[in-house]
Amino acid sequence: MASESIVVFAQFQSAVDEGFWHRLSSLKLNKLGIDDSPIPITGFYAPCSHPQVSNHLTLLAESFPSESNEQSSTAATSGGNRNRCPVPGILYNTNTIESFHALDKKSLLKAEAKKIWDDIHTGKAVEDSAVLSRFLLISFADLKKWTFHYWFAFPALVLDPPATLVDLRRASQYFSLEEAKSVSAACNEWRNSSLTADVPFFLVCIDPNSLATVKHIKDWETCQSDGNKLLFGFYDPCHLPNNPGWPLRNFLALISVRWNLKSVRFLCYRENRGFADLGLSLVGEALITVPQGRAAKTGNGLGWRGHQCLPNAVGWEQNKGRQVSRCISLAKSMDPTRLAISAA
Amino acid sequence: MVLTQKLHEAFKGTVERITGPRTVSAFKEKGVLSVSEFVIAGDNLVSKCPTWSWESGEPNKRKAYLPPEKQFLITRNVPCLRRAASVEEEYEAAGGEVLLDNEDNDGWLATHGKPKDKSDEAENLPSMETLEISSKNKTVKSIPSHFGDQDEDIPDMADYEEPDNIETDAATLPSTYLVAEEPDDDNILRTRTYDVSITYDKYYQTPRVWLTGYDESRMLLQPELVLEDVSQDHARKTVTIEDHPHLPGKHASVHPCRHGAVMKKIIDVLMSHGVEPEVDKYLFLFLKFVASVIPTIEYDYTMDFDLGSSSN
Repeated sequence: MASESIVVFAQFQSAVDEGFWHRLSSLKLNKLGIDDSPIPITGFYAPCSHPQVSNHLTLLAESFPSESNEQSSTAATSGGNRNRCPVPGILYNTNTIESFHALDKKSLLKAEAKKIWDDIHTGKAVEDSAVLSRFLLISFADLKKWTFHYWFAFPALVLDPPATLVDLRRASQYFSLEEAKSVSAACNEWRNSSLTADVPFFLVCIDPNSLATVKHIKDWETCQSDGNKLLFGFYDPCHLPNNPGWPLRNFLALISVRWNLKSVRFLCYRENRGFADLGLSLVGEALITVPQGRAAKTGNGLGWRGHQCLPNAVGWEQNKGRQVSRCISLAKSMDPTRLAISAA
Repeated sequence: MVLTQKLHEAFKGTVERITGPRTVSAFKEKGVLSVSEFVIAGDNLVSKCPTWSWESGEPNKRKAYLPPEKQFLITRNVPCLRRAASVEEEYEAAGGEVLLDNEDNDGWLATHGKPKDKSDEAENLPSMETLEISSKNKTVKSIPSHFGDQDEDIPDMADYEEPDNIETDAATLPSTYLVAEEPDDDNILRTRTYDVSITYDKYYQTPRVWLTGYDESRMLLQPELVLEDVSQDHARKTVTIEDHPHLPGKHASVHPCRHGAVMKKIIDVLMSHGVEPEVDKYLFLFLKFVASVIPTIEYDYTMDFDLGSSSN
């Protein structure tokens, strides 16, 4: 425990449902034509729910904005779905394979990172924590061959220097038995309420009597009380025992900018079969250091915490360990003659 | 799809269009569900096993007899760490297993594999007399693992690898697309994940299970490859590849033609033990039975409560 290392985060992983590509194809054919302006889309994720596999950011047919009122009414009823926490994203679908490869990935990623940075500074991210995780998808839909080239990015603001890890252990080893019981109950209650089930960032407040409550991050000020333990919790899609998942990166940036904390106690919230699992969840402590030269100015809202100073961002998804795009062919299920037969 | 299967689908579709949905309960008598009983049982599954949720699917595929927001049930990203075929080999070596029929187990089918001795259970197996799928699927191993590999026109993405353009930092865990510890000593990755969905089959008046597979790098699996994760007794008989009633594309499905009879049998065994089965528990019983068909797909059907109202 004594040796300090930096916090190493497990990247978000993407998974695309076939329905998403079907929806994109019909949009492209029936509505968009050669219009290649970016489209706002929604990805979905949930806390890790199995000790051996991570959860993914999933794109579905419903990831596209709804076409009609009829659909938007069902979108409203699916709000609060605990297995579908929405993550805002943007799709750049190009018209040719050449323009797909020619996209300036660096500046696209930077543009999305800037949205996160802006939301942190305006306080929007405190009110609606879902905007802390964003994603970017670039694609080329070859509708002659029913082949889709694509690449995801999950923009993460880079702390410089990186956050160091003071402690990281299973939540069941960190909490006392009494606390663990209360934390589990409070988290399950949070996940079971349709008002909070899909709110991925939260606070866990434990009073001196080991009684835990889960609160919105906007209630941070009211949780400040002597003797209370305060943890910054997030839905962790990752299952690994030694690495927090990707959403913690932007959460740490928010915590540092908004509340100027040097030491952050965080909870990587994970589930087993849909219920809080503190054996799988992690509790860690990270130290955030601000560069010396700039630290003096932070009181004035300048330095790296200043709104004008956009931190570096990383996050293009790796494909089998390589920096390449992915490709999927759906000719089998999208061939129009075959579809015509099955629709008859 | 073979011709007989197509013909049957056409026949089934016609019957479904001209007959109304079941409204009278025949759960204990026939092992089938009415539409409203399906919704009740689904609500209970979602509340007890929260990894399951209701979805509405494609708007143009919605069934008027089901509530728009409760068209079918789905659980996503379910791990499948090993191929069913390899598990069965080990089971057979260990003597297989049989229908568990004693006081403690209430006559469940055991969850893994099928016994070689089929004297009692052969009749339990949903049979597919007219619906055999083509034997060309025997070459299943040679099918590339996901859709992306099959098209020769797809350029080698290594040509486009751009290490200079893409930044990572020391705080990014290097990606190994390995998602779980693999059980075997060779280096072949076997972790797949599945989206498992349950629809209501109006013709057979039972739930029906659909499987959508993803390989270890989260690419869509060819439906034919899904058969590797099906108990080999069922793989080429009761599991077929068809259009999903609420989602686009071809998906593997456990054919429901014998579901009612199997459920009736399970219900009879329960009742002979003095347990009065409740209809809202139907899907737990059903999923327990389906686990014998897809033994290595670890979806949730946990039951830590009484099955019926008057047990003991």
